[in-house]
Amino acid sequence: MSKNAQMVLHHKKKRPFNAVSVPAEVVINTIMTLFCATCIIPFIFVVIISFTSEESIRKIGYSFTPLSWGTEAYAYVMKLGDQLWISYFNSFFTTIVGTGLSVLICILYSYALFRRDFKFRSFFSFFSFFTMLFGGGLVPTYMVCKQMLGLSDNYAALIVPLLVNPFNIIVMRTFFQSSVPEELIEAAAIDGSGEYNTLFKIIIPIAKPGIATIALLNALAYWNEWFVALLYVRERAKIPLQYLLMQMQRNVEYLAKNSANMGADAAAAASSLPTQSLRMAMVVLIVIPIAFAYPFFQRYIIAGLTIGSVKG
Amino acid sequence: MKKKLLSIVLSIAVTATMLVGCGSTTTETATDATEATETAEEATDAEETAEAPAEEAALDISEPVTLKWYLHGSTVNDDMAVMEKVNEYLGEKLNVTLEPIWGTWGDFDEGSTLAINGGDDVDIYFTCSWSANEYNAFAKKGAWVRLDNPENNLLEKYGSDIWNTLPEVLKAGAQIEGSDGYGVYALPGYKDFGTQNCWDINVTLLEECGYTLDDIRNTDYYGFGDILKKAKELKGNDFYPLLVEGLVLERMVDNSIIVNGDSGSLNVLSYYIDPTDVSKDIGSKVVNKYATEEFKKFAEKTREYYEAGYIDPGLANKQTANDLRTSKQLNADYLIGTQSYALGYEVQTSAERGIEVAYVPCTPPYVDKTSTQGAMMAISTASKNPERAMAFLNLLNTDPYLMTLLEYGVEGVHYNLNDDGLVVFTDEHDNYQPWRNGMGNVTILPPQEGEGKDFFTKTFIPYYDSAKAIPAFGYQFDPTNVETELAALANVGEEYALALCVGSIDPATALPEFLDKLEAAGMSKVVDEANAQLDAYFANEQ
Repeated sequence: MSKNAQMVLHHKKKRPFNAVSVPAEVVINTIMTLFCATCIIPFIFVVIISFTSEESIRKIGYSFTPLSWGTEAYAYVMKLGDQLWISYFNSFFTTIVGTGLSVLICILYSYALFRRDFKFRSFFSFFSFFTMLFGGGLVPTYMVCKQMLGLSDNYAALIVPLLVNPFNIIVMRTFFQSSVPEELIEAAAIDGSGEYNTLFKIIIPIAKPGIATIALLNALAYWNEWFVALLYVRERAKIPLQYLLMQMQRNVEYLAKNSANMGADAAAAASSLPTQSLRMAMVVLIVIPIAFAYPFFQRYIIAGLTIGSVKG
Repeated sequence: MKKKLLSIVLSIAVTATMLVGCGSTTTETATDATEATETAEEATDAEETAEAPAEEAALDISEPVTLKWYLHGSTVNDDMAVMEKVNEYLGEKLNVTLEPIWGTWGDFDEGSTLAINGGDDVDIYFTCSWSANEYNAFAKKGAWVRLDNPENNLLEKYGSDIWNTLPEVLKAGAQIEGSDGYGVYALPGYKDFGTQNCWDINVTLLEECGYTLDDIRNTDYYGFGDILKKAKELKGNDFYPLLVEGLVLERMVDNSIIVNGDSGSLNVLSYYIDPTDVSKDIGSKVVNKYATEEFKKFAEKTREYYEAGYIDPGLANKQTANDLRTSKQLNADYLIGTQSYALGYEVQTSAERGIEVAYVPCTPPYVDKTSTQGAMMAISTASKNPERAMAFLNLLNTDPYLMTLLEYGVEGVHYNLNDDGLVVFTDEHDNYQPWRNGMGNVTILPPQEGEGKDFFTKTFIPYYDSAKAIPAFGYQFDPTNVETELAALANVGEEYALALCVGSIDPATALPEFLDKLEAAGMSKVVDEANAQLDAYFANEQ
């Protein structure tokens, strides 16, 4: 009996006393693996399609195991030439400048909301929160942006509409509240630190994980944005990469939809449009740069997860 | 206290949303109001100018003017070289600087309607019967200047040259009910305005199979069986001889036509024409075509062809059908296809596909109001210079130099003329390739290589002159009363129509199911409404 009991004890000792049971761990791991697979497989599929030869797509459609491989799609993308590089530049430019500016604005706004001694705190909280619930509608927004603010065919048109995000402001304010003790600000004030100094030299270094999070969110938003380009940009030299892809996609759909009305014109126009594999190649080219941005922010985000509750 | 404040704010918010909900109507009335004042101003202006000279008011071009022009069509990458020349020329002629906005296919609908609703300072818009900035709808909303307004007849004053050269049927098609009464609200483009559905024949393969074009001409869809069988045997199992656009195929076989104003491309309503004489009144009513005997017969035959492997299953997938069809066409991987015809199209497609392509028509070309409104230019009520805009449109449509420059680009850069005076495009053409039919009068252009020297005068103009109007020319279904039903019908149609028209589902079981669902979605109400309007239209005509 004692031997048996010892063995059980011994066996139990190998695992930490608060560990989940083995079957539970198996189940959880399986679920997580499946979840990861559903996230990653579509992208792998896109990559495969982009390297599939046109002939294979024609014969058997999309497949994980195409009949033959080809790089025609990428060769064709390269033929887009200047437009591709211009759009790459536009995307990078708006993402970098836009992320920088919107993070700055977000910090300034949420820091003010975080300070209890700010008199109009509740008004400005509500002011930003309100825009999350109610928008002005497409046409009025368009009129304000285009006619009052002059956002038309310029980089500002790609950057300004996404500059302030109330959701990020709320996230950032909560982050300040949970990770920056108010005593710190008082201590800084007593030591003779001015408001700017307190914010930029003391608060921001503490809040790095939170800033990294909203910076990542903003960067993703800017990189993936095509709708504002559709609204305000007509000039080819100003369109971002994402919109270039969207245009191809929408052209194909539009011509398919209107083929009955346009007759031979639609068929003629459609024959000069890019093929399926080409569009997939564009997707790959768009995803790769932003995928590299994630590891850059990752360490801050993980740091952010462990901060706060433990230190209290 | 705080709670009270919150409740006040929330109630304000609720009212605000209600206002936003009604926002579109409020803005419309607002624009209407400004338009009313504008037109009033124009009217007084017109009176003043009309008093001074007698009839032909000379255009005052002392002030330089910029005209913004919103176009539809393919992407134009680089218009610098062209616009430089155009503006040099227009500057001399009209003291005008032209700024085109090249609408790409996919973004035109959203971009142009926003620009109109948002009151952008665009002078001239492309409009037509099938895009979202639809000619009729926006004329009613007051977005377009009425060109033949009796108080300020821009057409007579500045556009008579082009107006008098247009075919009568185009002029009649342009007349609609709008915000300023019944009249012309846009200048129709002189392009291919007839509709003619054809069998698209791969002649090279047909002859390989031992048949000739006459074998196609002498039979119909129900008699294609042997020919398709032969081709299938010859080319093997992976070859699908029938390359069809399901919904078009059905119209070709049953001689049904789209009812103008029906819901989108999955039209549920149908009107029938006589296949030999399109203008003959065969007393057709608007019907639910899926409930007819003809449709049943068609669906059964199509199913038979599908099961025999004559139709590619991929054509039943709405998302990819068009891509598949285009790529198969380009690879000449078909025997018989469907095509809505445009004159001279066989030359273009033969060259593209590397085979001999022929088009065998199902009916003579016919004209309905939808097809006459295929491409038009409307002057926006937001335009500050409608007179100059009209004068520009007049010049564009009558001056071959200007039209050629805008359509084909600069000679020696984008195209060259060969010994016969025909246009041969250079590689540069890829960067400047507007939609030829989207600009206006194509008949003043030099023909392209392959079209032949007298293409427009000897072929194009006589062909479209021969196109006859259908009996219900001008009938336009107004869906306002049955919009909910139409939306529900479109959903049901989405599920079944295409599949039945390419044969991927069995009509024996699917067709009754489909009809039940259509009935449940309010089919008869829509049909009754459409017929009531049709009767009213005919009563009005007589």
